[in-house]
Amino acid sequence: MVRGGSFLLFVALTAPQLAAAETTSFADSAALLARSCAAEITANCRGVNFNSDRLKECLSRNQDVLSPQCKTNYFQVFDAIQKRIAARATVANACSREIVKLCAGSTKETSKSVPCLMTAKGVSRNCTQAMVDAGYR
Amino acid sequence: MMCPVTRNLRDIGLLARALLLLAGRFLLAGPFLLAAPASPARAQTAVARDDIIAPLERFETAPDLDVAALRQQVLERSKSRSKNEPPPQKRPPIAPELTKLPTFNVDIQFDVDTPIVQPASYQTVGRIADAMVYSSLLPYGFLIVGHTESTGRRENNAILSQRRADAIRDILVNTFKITSKRLQSVGLGEEQLLDPARPNAPANNQVQIMTVMKMPEQSELPAAASKPPAKKPAKKR
Repeated sequence: MVRGGSFLLFVALTAPQLAAAETTSFADSAALLARSCAAEITANCRGVNFNSDRLKECLSRNQDVLSPQCKTNYFQVFDAIQKRIAARATVANACSREIVKLCAGSTKETSKSVPCLMTAKGVSRNCTQAMVDAGYR
Repeated sequence: MMCPVTRNLRDIGLLARALLLLAGRFLLAGPFLLAAPASPARAQTAVARDDIIAPLERFETAPDLDVAALRQQVLERSKSRSKNEPPPQKRPPIAPELTKLPTFNVDIQFDVDTPIVQPASYQTVGRIADAMVYSSLLPYGFLIVGHTESTGRRENNAILSQRRADAIRDILVNTFKITSKRLQSVGLGEEQLLDPARPNAPANNQVQIMTVMKMPEQSELPAAASKPPAKKPAKKR
């Protein structure tokens, strides 16, 4: 299994990045934060919960004592979480035709149309990618 | 799209599952593999997103649930000092109706006696957020249920479990922007032990996620017709 994992990792590293807009799952972002900054959070941010604003504030306040790995990654992690959230708003745009025409929905309440978009026929590639980025599929 | 595949594979065995997990990681990990290659030796043990989704999407009828009343009931029962109080393992569950709901039990590590989630469990909370955003769970609202094992003061446990359930809800709302309309929380302390035969077992500290409601369909039109006119005058002042 370990070998298989390394091989997949190798493939992932060498495969060309597909779409520039691709986002990262919340779990992967959270895992990277924990992997990079667990010691720093435990030592310097006692009593601060996994709240992006407060944790980011605490880590920035302790810049000087952060490991290089934590320093490099924490900002990127919160950024990635933000991108994943922001991607939800792009679905309304990327899927506006599908939401109205195929799902009889409203672009003001995109999330209500998402289950329909998942099964509707004739959804554009752009719309599908937007839903992937938002974590809907 | 991955869901039916996952469910069909469920029974084939651990190997198939591990392969699927690897494939899932390969598909999802994306750019972070470049930033911080996960060493295979430290493979994560966090739950898979689809394992959270599968039980929670099996929602049929909304329960008749009064969360505020339940909180009050827990607090009151946890304060009872009666001599006839049964020992923890003999107490009747305080909210038996909850046991019928679609439920996912999850281990989340908190700092001792606090609602602070340890970094070791960040990934798990992120995974819960991923599941709640996924299309098949998007139409639903959830109850986050905190529990404690039966060590220490019973009343404190009721309060601690409530704070922990609130903390998970807050993380989902603040960090991952799951709308608060979809999330309620309640702490049952040691009033509904998850492993009643062993009141001090760590299993009793698990957090439960339950599907409790279907969000109203297209609420937008009636809301747009009634609410904003009431609000507008207030804004102009």
